[in-house]
Amino acid sequence: MATEALKRQIAGKWQNAFARLNRDQEGITGLLAFSEAWALATEFLHPRDLNGSMANKELDMVKVRLAVETLSKSKMLPILLENFLEDMRKQQYLITRDVNQFMLQYEETEDVHHIARLVYRILEWYRAWVPITELGHTILSAYTLTFQTHVYSILPPSFSRGFKKLVNATFDLAQSPVPPPWLPPTPPALQSPVPPPRPDLPLWSAFEQLGLLDRYESLISSVCYEHIEAHILETCSKRWGERMLQPLREWMTNRIVPWMVMPYARGARSAEEARSMLQGVGSRFDFHVCKTLSDLRTREIFDIIIDFPDSQPALEDLKECLQRVDQRTQLVQTLRKANRKRLLHPGADTKDILTQYVSIIRCLRLVDPPGVLLFKVADPIRRYLRERPDTIRCIVASLVGDGESGDSLVDENEPIQPLQQMQVEDYTDPSWEPEPIDAGPDFRTNKPSDVISTLVSIYDSKDLFVRELQVLLAQRLLAITDGNFDRERRNIEILKIRFGEAALQVCEVMLRDMTESKRTDQHVQSQKHMMLHPTIISRHFWPPLQAGKFAMPGQFKLIQDDYAREFHSFKQDKKLRWLPHLGTIRLEIELQDRTIPVDVPPLEAAFIELFSEKDTWTVDELIARVGSVDRSAAIKSLTTWVDMGVLKEEISNQYVLLEVAEDGSSVSTGGAPPRPARVIEEVSAVLTVEQQQAEQMRVYWKFIEGMLTNLGTLPLDRIQTMLKFAPGYDRTIEQLGAFMEAARREGLVTVANGMWKLSRT
Amino acid sequence: MKVHVKNWHAIAQWRWDTGASDVDDDGEGDVCGICRVPYEGCCPSCKMPGDDCPLIWGECSHVFHMHCLLQWISTSASKQQCPMDRRPWVTAERKVDANAAR
Repeated sequence: MATEALKRQIAGKWQNAFARLNRDQEGITGLLAFSEAWALATEFLHPRDLNGSMANKELDMVKVRLAVETLSKSKMLPILLENFLEDMRKQQYLITRDVNQFMLQYEETEDVHHIARLVYRILEWYRAWVPITELGHTILSAYTLTFQTHVYSILPPSFSRGFKKLVNATFDLAQSPVPPPWLPPTPPALQSPVPPPRPDLPLWSAFEQLGLLDRYESLISSVCYEHIEAHILETCSKRWGERMLQPLREWMTNRIVPWMVMPYARGARSAEEARSMLQGVGSRFDFHVCKTLSDLRTREIFDIIIDFPDSQPALEDLKECLQRVDQRTQLVQTLRKANRKRLLHPGADTKDILTQYVSIIRCLRLVDPPGVLLFKVADPIRRYLRERPDTIRCIVASLVGDGESGDSLVDENEPIQPLQQMQVEDYTDPSWEPEPIDAGPDFRTNKPSDVISTLVSIYDSKDLFVRELQVLLAQRLLAITDGNFDRERRNIEILKIRFGEAALQVCEVMLRDMTESKRTDQHVQSQKHMMLHPTIISRHFWPPLQAGKFAMPGQFKLIQDDYAREFHSFKQDKKLRWLPHLGTIRLEIELQDRTIPVDVPPLEAAFIELFSEKDTWTVDELIARVGSVDRSAAIKSLTTWVDMGVLKEEISNQYVLLEVAEDGSSVSTGGAPPRPARVIEEVSAVLTVEQQQAEQMRVYWKFIEGMLTNLGTLPLDRIQTMLKFAPGYDRTIEQLGAFMEAARREGLVTVANGMWKLSRT
Repeated sequence: MKVHVKNWHAIAQWRWDTGASDVDDDGEGDVCGICRVPYEGCCPSCKMPGDDCPLIWGECSHVFHMHCLLQWISTSASKQQCPMDRRPWVTAERKVDANAAR
């Protein structure tokens, strides 16, 4: 039911179309010419089977161009493009067939050769179908897009793997001028008159033309990353004795950069241009080098620290890497974890923990001079060390140089400085710097302080150290028999610099007692020669000594009294009180058949002296003669003599002197003179700090007992308040709590709802 | 059997011979009535005990660190009296002489 208007409209359209195609030529000659041109153009553009005839090559290019021009005049190019793309779609099965065939071969052999060939083959297809440039840019890019879309859609997943392997295989080509066997011959399209600088150059060109570089860019860089990682792991693992970063960068320059030119700067015409093209990607790879190395070193950090200072170069590398890569948190976490696992457990020696802690201090100072890392890592160690009972003793022992162990915590070369206190920040300082950005809120800038200051600062007060030091010094001084204590004096002088003169006043008195004793002894000896050489101490300035009271029998008593009398006549206003259980005596035991020289503690000497009165004694008799002596101590000293073959336990608790050595006894061999058996007591004469505290707490127990008897039940804080009235009470409520808990375990007190009361009512 | 002593390294403490018989003692011992520091310790102005910080005996039988007492006597408030019993301070001959005569 066409209306008039519609008919007119269609007729108008028809006229227009005709005019366009006929191009104002006579009759329909224009139309005929157009039809010819269209047929020729489509024939030319038709995507052909590569395996079939190469007919399109034989077409006259002049004619084709004319035809295209004709079409262009008729504004039919878009239609032609549509037609061409449609044709391509129809012919795509040809490419698919080839791709499948090559991939099948690759999957069978895993040989990258097939991938390379596949790439070249696809390129061949691409070039065979490409329209001529006269058709314009639009049609070319539309063609490329369609072609690539299709190719990507048919490449199986195994292609990425194969492609990666292929890229990987190009790595070692830089140096070899001869193409490797896997590289297929360069297709004619890619051949250039000059031989390529690298055999893989055509391959890369093919990649680019097919758009594979863009599509697989991450894959290509991951190949490079993996290469870098493998190389670093291989060359740097466990090698801490030399700087690695610089050699690695050289390796990058020599090995990776020439390769990088291929994917990233192939088109560069000059070295300058290449450099600017490589800059971005190069810095990405350099970052990766730093990251890989810092990851590796982070994993190894605990062992690196153990190896310090041999591992110093590794730490310098790490420092440089950390400036580039932000891996500080990982480092802290890894090290904290390693410490927790390998260091801070009951199996580790306190001394080892301290040594490692000191190494950590030194190492992290090197890596991070402001000390933020150190602060974060050290915190758990310090907290752990605070809980160990023997930490102070270990630190003090190393402070005074523990002789035998050799490896002192303190670096000999480090200058001796006074202990540093926390400094308040001086904001008027022109060179003041803010805290590092990753410093926690409780981070305190302790400016470069020495190791000892850091160790001492584990505890809040240095008094604890001074007390422990005093105990240690006392032990050493009392053990000295030859009157040579230069070493201790030197130590104290050094420690005075650290702890300050005032804190070590007590030690000063102890040292003076030593000199004074020597002088006094010289005087006494000049008056009357005696075997006794006592150390005379000022009792309030020495740590409490082991209590023990017994009287030396026989000749020992005489010697003591003699000496005391001489002393009194020398220092008229003073007198001596012997501490009989301390010291050592060198004796010569003269028996019927042998003479035994020995060094023994006084109790042993006392007992053997008693045996010179009569040959047989029971333990109880002996104890009764010397006064109050621990039974176990008595048996122990008797055993010493039994071991030497001087006494024998005849029946239980009864000992008899062996005037004549028994057969088989070790000392009785006639020829060789008996070796002096040195039996020096291991038990120290001086009470340790803990023992002292326990001793003091025993006194306060009396107060607590009194309180609880009078008042029934009391809460802990009341007990604490009341104890504060007691002279010299300086415990915290926590210490009191621990003590009460111990008392409860012993069954002395009970607790209910925080109220303490005595058990026996 | 004979036991010969070749060498004896012993440890002893010194005490001031104040004449008081030393009954025990491991206790703190007597303290100076002025500074409340034990006699065998040293007065607040001294660092070294013993001969550097000697004691002084009064006729009134009270004993002090010499430095403590001299400082006390030098103040006008002391009126030259013993701080314990307010009798005029008279330094006694040493008790030790009595002991020596014993």
